[in-house]
Amino acid sequence: MAPTALGQKRKAVTRDVTEEDATAPGDVFRGDQLDQILSQSEDEDDQESVFSDEEDEEEESKNEADEESEITDEYGDEDTSDLKPNYTVVQDANGNPRYIYKEIDPAYDSEDSDAAEGNNTIGNIPLSFYDSYPHIGYDINGKKVMRPAKGEALDALLDSIEIPKGWTGLTDPATGKPLELSEEELDVLKKITRNEVPEDGYDPYPDMVEYFSSKTEIMPLSAAPEPKRRFVPSKHEAKRVMKIVKAIREGRIQPYRPPPEEDEGDTVIKHYDIWANEEPRADHVMHIPAPKLPPPGYDESYHPPPEYLPSKEEKATWEKEDEEDREKEFLPTDHDALRKVPGYEKFVKERFERCLDLYLAPRVRRSKLDIDPESLLPKLPDPDELRPFPTTCATIFRGHEGRVRSLSIDPTGKWLASGGDDGTVRIWELLSGKQIWSVKVASDEPANVVRWRPNAEAYILAAAAGEDIYFISPISILSPEEEEKSRAILDVGWGYAASSETNGQSKKETPAKWARPGARLEDQGALVRVTVRSTIKVITWHRRGDYLSTVSPQGQSSAVAIHTLSKHLTQLPFRRLKGLAQSAQFHPSKPVFFVATQRAIRSYDLQKQQLVKILQPGARWISSFDVHAGGDNIIVGSYDRRLLWHDLDLSTRPYKTLRYHKKAIRQVQFHHGGLPLFADASDDGSVQIFHGKVVGDLMENATIVPLKVLKGHTVKSELGVLDIDWHPRQPWLVSAGADGTCRLWN
Amino acid sequence: MASTEETKTAQVRIQLTTRYPDIELPDDPGPLLVSTGFRRYALSTLVNNLLQTERPVPFEFLINGQFLRTSIDEFLTANGISAETTLTVEYVRALIPPLHVSSYEHDDWISSVDVLSGSSPAVREAEEVSSGQERILSGGYDGLFRMWNMSNEVIATSNAPDEGGHTLAIKSVKFISPQKIASSSMDRTIRVWDYSEESATLTPTLELYGHKSSVDSIAVHSQSSRILSSSSDRSVGLWTTKKSEAPSAPENLIPKARNKRRKLSHPTPSKTGTQRGPLSLLTGHTDVVSSAIFSPTDHTVGYSASWDHTIRTWDLTTSACVDTRTTAHPLLSLAAMNGANLLAAGTSARHITMIDPRASATTIAAMTLRGHTNGVVSLAADPDSPYGLVSGSHDGTCRVWDIRSVRPGVGEVGGGQVGESVYVIPREILKEKGKSKAPVGGEGLKVFGVCWDKHVGIVSVGEDKRVQVNKAGDIIRT
Repeated sequence: MAPTALGQKRKAVTRDVTEEDATAPGDVFRGDQLDQILSQSEDEDDQESVFSDEEDEEEESKNEADEESEITDEYGDEDTSDLKPNYTVVQDANGNPRYIYKEIDPAYDSEDSDAAEGNNTIGNIPLSFYDSYPHIGYDINGKKVMRPAKGEALDALLDSIEIPKGWTGLTDPATGKPLELSEEELDVLKKITRNEVPEDGYDPYPDMVEYFSSKTEIMPLSAAPEPKRRFVPSKHEAKRVMKIVKAIREGRIQPYRPPPEEDEGDTVIKHYDIWANEEPRADHVMHIPAPKLPPPGYDESYHPPPEYLPSKEEKATWEKEDEEDREKEFLPTDHDALRKVPGYEKFVKERFERCLDLYLAPRVRRSKLDIDPESLLPKLPDPDELRPFPTTCATIFRGHEGRVRSLSIDPTGKWLASGGDDGTVRIWELLSGKQIWSVKVASDEPANVVRWRPNAEAYILAAAAGEDIYFISPISILSPEEEEKSRAILDVGWGYAASSETNGQSKKETPAKWARPGARLEDQGALVRVTVRSTIKVITWHRRGDYLSTVSPQGQSSAVAIHTLSKHLTQLPFRRLKGLAQSAQFHPSKPVFFVATQRAIRSYDLQKQQLVKILQPGARWISSFDVHAGGDNIIVGSYDRRLLWHDLDLSTRPYKTLRYHKKAIRQVQFHHGGLPLFADASDDGSVQIFHGKVVGDLMENATIVPLKVLKGHTVKSELGVLDIDWHPRQPWLVSAGADGTCRLWN
Repeated sequence: MASTEETKTAQVRIQLTTRYPDIELPDDPGPLLVSTGFRRYALSTLVNNLLQTERPVPFEFLINGQFLRTSIDEFLTANGISAETTLTVEYVRALIPPLHVSSYEHDDWISSVDVLSGSSPAVREAEEVSSGQERILSGGYDGLFRMWNMSNEVIATSNAPDEGGHTLAIKSVKFISPQKIASSSMDRTIRVWDYSEESATLTPTLELYGHKSSVDSIAVHSQSSRILSSSSDRSVGLWTTKKSEAPSAPENLIPKARNKRRKLSHPTPSKTGTQRGPLSLLTGHTDVVSSAIFSPTDHTVGYSASWDHTIRTWDLTTSACVDTRTTAHPLLSLAAMNGANLLAAGTSARHITMIDPRASATTIAAMTLRGHTNGVVSLAADPDSPYGLVSGSHDGTCRVWDIRSVRPGVGEVGGGQVGESVYVIPREILKEKGKSKAPVGGEGLKVFGVCWDKHVGIVSVGEDKRVQVNKAGDIIRT
């Protein structure tokens, strides 16, 4: 009971004080206060406690209400015994007896139940008797009832007091002097009471300084070797663990709390499966299933193969890039184990975006075409069935310095003639690749074209270098009979030319000059030289070998010339050509002449001297063309990488366009020996072989099958294969390359 | 069969046979029991033991027409043969990998080669040419042919163009007899030369005119002194080397010296040379005739192969074309197998077609030998075996074939039986240059001619300007 009593005592005292405080706080009442206290309690100690209690003023007043009720509870029972004195003696803190009087409750003893509670008990005397006292009477306990302060009096009092600066009304417990606080200190206090940061610049949450673990010492404090116990597993622990293990095994300890047994009877919750009888329904007509996400790839793995991991630079560029520009949304990252994979921070964002996509992007039902793609492809025969065609390089003809511009296989199929940038015309044995014969026709200009006369009875080679055409009969490989024939063919025109001159027909400037090329070349077999006005790029022979046409693209009005070998005569069939002439061909059977300009091919009837047809291949710049032996089909090669097949009976537009080359096509050629083959040569260094079967039936179109790409020529300064020619009978092809070689393919 | 059960490894009964009398077993041992684990080497040792040879001869074993390349057990399993039957095993001398012996250097490409030895067809009696006195003849693109002895020395060189020699590249050169040589050239002539061993000189005796284009190959038959030539002018010529028998040369084909300029290209025929014409010119081919040969059994029958895909059989007495066999590809070379009724024809399509020329044969191509990567331009039969063959190709290799080693070609173009080469002889120059891979198109390595002689070995010439002699090791024959 001691602490309770002690509390009682203090409370009793304090209550009084508070009452007084409430009435008159201030220095003036100090003396009165003390008197009152002394008058109520004989205990000297009380004075001190008052002083000390004053500091806790607020706290006390708070408790006031509960205390009163407590006290009444405590003593309420004891009141029943009248024998006991009206006080209890309690030992106070100093060991002195202390009397505590019970409070008088008038409600029980007084018969006057109507008497006002806590009222003045002075009776019926005028209140003026107390005018000179601060109190106005006594309550039932004999305590003074203080005069309630009037507003005026308070104001007067407050006005009379000159409050010094910094006055707080408190006493500094350390000095005993009144506590004075500066404004700053008051501010601080105010802030503290409001739970604010007391000072500017005060950080309530400073970084933690880990005094003990932030710094790791490099050197150990002691050089002593690590004691064994640090790394030897503790036996003691093992023992204890074993004990627990044993206990668990025996069932003395249960490592987990057994799952709570559910009370079946009470807690059965009835579940209703509302979808139990649901029958699968067909999708709504407008239902469009969400498109599936692509399946994850290797790079999305938590442990991707090393080749998928980004290098440092890739990583840096990825990080530098704008988020929207990134090719991938993530960087492949390597983790050794699945458990080390951190949470995916973009998960929510990604899901959200997917939902947005599904919600906002309109989905359209695609009508599926049930067509087998195979059936759309034209039925092409297998290349193996279309043999023979050239497949491999059989011989390389090396010897030309610089590019080989042109080549041609002689009508017997035994020799190959070639002309190159070094100004030489060479003849090779076709199969072995041995150079048999060579002549230098020009020292400063390339031999641009070489073409054999298409008649096997005599060997005449037309070669053009610059503005000159040389008719060459390579004597050394000819039999005397052949040589004589060749000479005769070439020489027969001299007389004709001489006779026409004497007739005075050559007043105008002749389009070409026919002359003997000089002793040196004549010794080597070059028997006739024809000089035209500009550089010749294309020579084509008429099938009978009497006419040949030359094309010099820069020649303007003299761009296309037709030469008659037997008369040593040159004619210019076109006064003006629309566009630059590129190539010319004779029709294989009819007196029709084809001329290609950059964009179009025109065919002329030589007998009627009129335009027959204009073909529009649609190419921007035609490089070459060739007429099929039947005369109804033309293949056209263009510098814009297209190979076009024209059927003359069909239309003026190409029947088929083949784009297989990466670079310009330089030359196209039909096999004129009866095999359904054609080939083209391109600047990308490749030659492509096609099967092109022309059927006699007009209703049936030509079959065109790509067969083989022949690669071997190296591309030099953007030039690949410059010319090709087919063997007159065999499925063999020769090609002239910018790399200075000719190749035989079989 | 009790013994079979006792031993752990299975055994099989074999009957050893051979077609060669010189290696026949002295007394027929009857069926032998051998372990099925035996391979070629074990069987070879067994046969050597039975033959009691002084030096072991390597043998190959043929079972049901197939060479034994695995153990007998595996062979039986692979071919589905029961181990309880008696196997008939034919043993033959193994082909020994030909090793490089020597190379003879030239200045220009070499187009053809021939060998004179005791066993060559130009020699009537083996004693005429003793061992070590063999001669190699090589004709080059420089228009000259050279005769070599076996110690890498030129004995004789043919005349220069102005002294009766060829004016253009020589395409073919052959021994008619040890004293007589025939050569054909791009200059459309065939020339016959006399060779005297004492003075080591070559004297032109005969110039044969008649072809209008390059004479690409010649074949000689020394007994009847006939030459069969094939030319680019699509004809086959039959000639005789006897001056008296030969008709005079056609005038229009003899080059005449008309002016000074032309003298350079067509020099005047030498006074020593006598011009003669062909006995007959056989026409019928529609393209270049690449090769013509005499039938090995009958010198009145000739075969010719042409770029027009055909092989024609000619009756040389009546100059008539008896038979035409058409193949699928241009033919570049032709050779007759010794003993077997087969012709081997090299094609531009990189293989060799074996053709049965008999009129009764039902299939044209009996077999295809595949492996070359470029046109096959030269063929020579094995002088010892009716099954051996060597081919020279523009891909820069010679390949040795055995036509017994075949497999049915399934799914390949042409089908039929397909054979593979036994050995590949690369050009020695490739090895010297330290390259292992042949260049594209056999550039610089093309083989133009090949010849197989019993004593000298396989002699091949080509673009590398060398005569390369390859010979199987020392231990060839017993």
